[in-house]
Amino acid sequence: MAQIVATLDPKSRAATRGWSDITIRNVFIIPTVTFLIIFNIFPLLYSLGFSFTDFKASSSNPAKFVGLKNYVDLLADPVIWRTFTTTLWYVIVSVAGQFVVGFGLALLLNRPIPFKGFLTTLLLLPMMLSPVVVGLFWKLIYDPSWGILNYALGIGKVAWLTDPKLALYAVAITDIWMWSPFVMLLSLAGLSAVPKHLYEAASIDRAGKLYTFFRITLPLVAPILLIAVIFRTMEAFKTFDIAFVMTGQPQAELISTRLYKMAFQQWQTGPSSALAYIILIMVLCITNIYVKYLNKAKER
Amino acid sequence: MAVVSTRAGRLGNRIAIAAVIVITLIFLAPIYWITSTAFKPLVLATSVPPTVVFEPQITPFVKLFTKRAQLTGPVDKEVYDAAPWWEKLVLDGGERLARDGNGDVVYSAYPDRFVNSLIIAITSTVLAVGMGTITAYGFSRFRVKGEADLLFFILSTRMLPPIVVAIPMFLMYRAVGLNDTHVGLIILYTAFNVSFAVWLMKGFIDEIPKEYEEAALVDGYTRMQAFFKIVLPEAATGIAATAVFCFITAWNEYAFALILSNRRAQTAPPFIPSQVGTGLQDWTVIAAGTVLFLLPVAIFTFLLRNHLLRGMSFGAIRK
Amino acid sequence: MRIATKGILAGLGLMLASSTQVLAQELTILWAEWDPANYLQELVNDYQKETGVTVRVETTPWPDFQTKAFTEFNAHGSAYDLVVGDSQWLGAGSTQGHYVELTDFVKEHNLTTAMAPATMKYYSEYPGGSGHYWAVPLEGDALGWAYRKDLFEDPTEMANFKAKYGYDLAVPQTFAQLLDIAEFFTRPEQNLYGAAVYTQNSGDGVVMGVENSVFAYGGSFGDYANFKVTGEINGPNSVKALEDYRRLFTYNPPGWGNAFFAEVNTAIAQGQAAMGMNFFAFLPSLINEATNPYAKNMGFFANPKGPNGDDYAALGGQGISVVSYSQNKDEAMKFLAWFVKPETQKRWAELGGYTCDAVLLASPEFRNATPYNEAFYQTMFKVRDFWALPEYAELLTEAADTFYPYVVDGQGTAQETLDSLASKWVDTLKTAGYDAK
Repeated sequence: MAQIVATLDPKSRAATRGWSDITIRNVFIIPTVTFLIIFNIFPLLYSLGFSFTDFKASSSNPAKFVGLKNYVDLLADPVIWRTFTTTLWYVIVSVAGQFVVGFGLALLLNRPIPFKGFLTTLLLLPMMLSPVVVGLFWKLIYDPSWGILNYALGIGKVAWLTDPKLALYAVAITDIWMWSPFVMLLSLAGLSAVPKHLYEAASIDRAGKLYTFFRITLPLVAPILLIAVIFRTMEAFKTFDIAFVMTGQPQAELISTRLYKMAFQQWQTGPSSALAYIILIMVLCITNIYVKYLNKAKER
Repeated sequence: MAVVSTRAGRLGNRIAIAAVIVITLIFLAPIYWITSTAFKPLVLATSVPPTVVFEPQITPFVKLFTKRAQLTGPVDKEVYDAAPWWEKLVLDGGERLARDGNGDVVYSAYPDRFVNSLIIAITSTVLAVGMGTITAYGFSRFRVKGEADLLFFILSTRMLPPIVVAIPMFLMYRAVGLNDTHVGLIILYTAFNVSFAVWLMKGFIDEIPKEYEEAALVDGYTRMQAFFKIVLPEAATGIAATAVFCFITAWNEYAFALILSNRRAQTAPPFIPSQVGTGLQDWTVIAAGTVLFLLPVAIFTFLLRNHLLRGMSFGAIRK
Repeated sequence: MRIATKGILAGLGLMLASSTQVLAQELTILWAEWDPANYLQELVNDYQKETGVTVRVETTPWPDFQTKAFTEFNAHGSAYDLVVGDSQWLGAGSTQGHYVELTDFVKEHNLTTAMAPATMKYYSEYPGGSGHYWAVPLEGDALGWAYRKDLFEDPTEMANFKAKYGYDLAVPQTFAQLLDIAEFFTRPEQNLYGAAVYTQNSGDGVVMGVENSVFAYGGSFGDYANFKVTGEINGPNSVKALEDYRRLFTYNPPGWGNAFFAEVNTAIAQGQAAMGMNFFAFLPSLINEATNPYAKNMGFFANPKGPNGDDYAALGGQGISVVSYSQNKDEAMKFLAWFVKPETQKRWAELGGYTCDAVLLASPEFRNATPYNEAFYQTMFKVRDFWALPEYAELLTEAADTFYPYVVDGQGTAQETLDSLASKWVDTLKTAGYDAK
């Protein structure tokens, strides 16, 4: 530390005035928060108005006020409910999968391994690809006739992406492939931060492997795992590109895909704004719950 | 776990290493498949059964950069002989290169889209990481009224599905003329990366002991000098890790680019899948575009890999 | 002196004016990403040689084409001067002010007689029968069929077919024969299937396929002029057509639930399908030996007749329109005037474009130019189209969403499916302010 101070320009010692802490705080925080408000809150307020109208962005006809009709129609629409439950199930499957694979990989990697840095970077490759391209190529890989997967597994002609029972899982598997490395990376960071002396103490006490894992490793890694799960849940909830490209199977239709169809294929701006609001409220609830857990985990 | 001394432990270690290698290979298999498709003749890309061994060719890359049309008859021998080697590759595939009025080869839009991606992803990453770092510093070091609520708000902006925001954004951009502009996409990508950057960077900065700056302040530095000369260098690892994530997100973003850009500012992700061949989906060209598009982000990540691995323990652990 | 100054100023002004004109001498056309767009790029090179105006054809993939174009229209964007739009866009294009009206242009160039009647009716006129025109027919297209001659003409296959069905194996004249042949060639153990049709529901794939059957069966998607839906889309002929489309689907390769033109051609090229339904515009790749090992053995036929002898096919294809937000509208009109010249149309056909020029289309030269041109010529006189209202996209998405579970997943019956579609369409049309029944 002394070194760093020593390298500072001695002339700056004279400049004692500078900005006050309060100015710095405001200059550092207010622009970002304002920026986020302009690009998040403002657009939403803008569309709140539309959600009570029959407005179509594709039409020059003036918007007509329809009250709560859009909301009532949407909540009475079984298709919307189906996409909600599908999305929920998709989030659970894909996040659970990423958690198991990612954390498992991290546990395997958490030991001296030759070329560890290189291997880890290789494992990160899937998440560097564009989701839309990932979706396209997995469609090719899954194809029952000319896809490699069925041949590699030797399981005949399984129609992964068109079978109503399989399609959602097929999309989730792709998502798991793509994002497990993210969970792995965070878990690895968490594992490497566990103080070594705790393990040494445990081994002196002749504690079993399982005991060490559940009483030392897991509690210490839990907070960062939770962060990984939070971020992945948020992203999984938002999933659009992969699912949109991969399958048209209605049983695998996610809420984002439905919204895209309504908003930009059918140009039902009014009803789709209302749907966007319903999603927004759900998102806020989920985030709220998560942040509470996150804070709790951090306090531990 | 990390301490391995017994024979059983060493055996376990070997099994673990073997497992890691097998899993890595499984993870890389789809990427190998994409890469190998980029070097296949079109017929082999969708052959039944799939082709694993083949003679690699670079025709897909020639096709990626050109526009082509189906040949309706056999090629004139003279024309064929006069053609450069790369044009011969295209002619061999039953297609001819599209040419403009001056007889010059018409290039595809891929290079333009690629450059757009570079401009938009780099600028928005710099902006998001810059804003995220100073804002995180503000939250970390000063008392802010309603800090928890503000941080919650910042995080929640990240949770909205892009399509939800896209509807009003589309209407607003249309009103102010930001549709299909670089600035429009840069602002948008900055907006959704900045929330992530704030959260990541706050973890990192929380970990830098306050005493460092206090010592500097005692030595007569201003708060700003202390921030730039002490906090920033200490947070370099975190900044690098955050930059990697922001860059990956902006580089690969699809939904907004699809809706808010058309031609002038369109990035590569919506463009790559559009490289359809003549009545067939030309997987080889899509694969070639994908492989080239993966390179910058892979190189960037590879260069920063040590920061990424070390830097991911943001705050949550040692708190 | 004064006069000289004036002269210089005028000269300067002229220079400025002409230099801005030079800047404006570039036109951009939006079309979908496919071969005809590349033919068009080659065609417009001649225009550049003649006039010095650079024309660029910008393309976007089919699944995003409608979204992309309407995003740009709705943003009142000037990125494109001309657009080669689907026939169903006419309603929105004309009533929402996205397209420049071309009625005078059409009269001036006598297009109503110069172009094939169906193409003016479906690619240009809106509302139907009104005499208002909004586009110049550019690429004629419709659904046709490709088949494997080597299979159809194999003596063993022919004998076996005759033994089983009691008539000769040949190009199907009716849908009943088509279904027999599809069933006959469906042999999963040989990795061969009877047919490959459209099933994709994210664009207009499955709807186009069903439409093709419904029209041939004498059914209808609605009485477009009177907004009558009930009894049309769910009438007995339409129901039978949908039932048979579902049956046809069962003779498709496995996992055939997300198929559009590329998948159909791939299935044929990989020897998986004996017959394939596709737009004529996508057929050229099937006679390319570099992409299709069976290229030499490909035959083509027009949509067969339905059970009641009705003879129709579903229309594709596009007309070219001037975007009203363009800053180069005059240049764009000049380009259209060049495009409709018979010489240009001839060159267009030579390059591989499907001309809509009535004289050219009927010429033996055109009909014999390729193995599929004859089938195209026959089809273009029996085409019918989908709704072209501004709300067509909603009707289309509803149809795709409704057809898919029945056709692909086999849920419910054809009658239930079409009844539910009829009631959805009536609702949608009523909401849009039409007196729908």
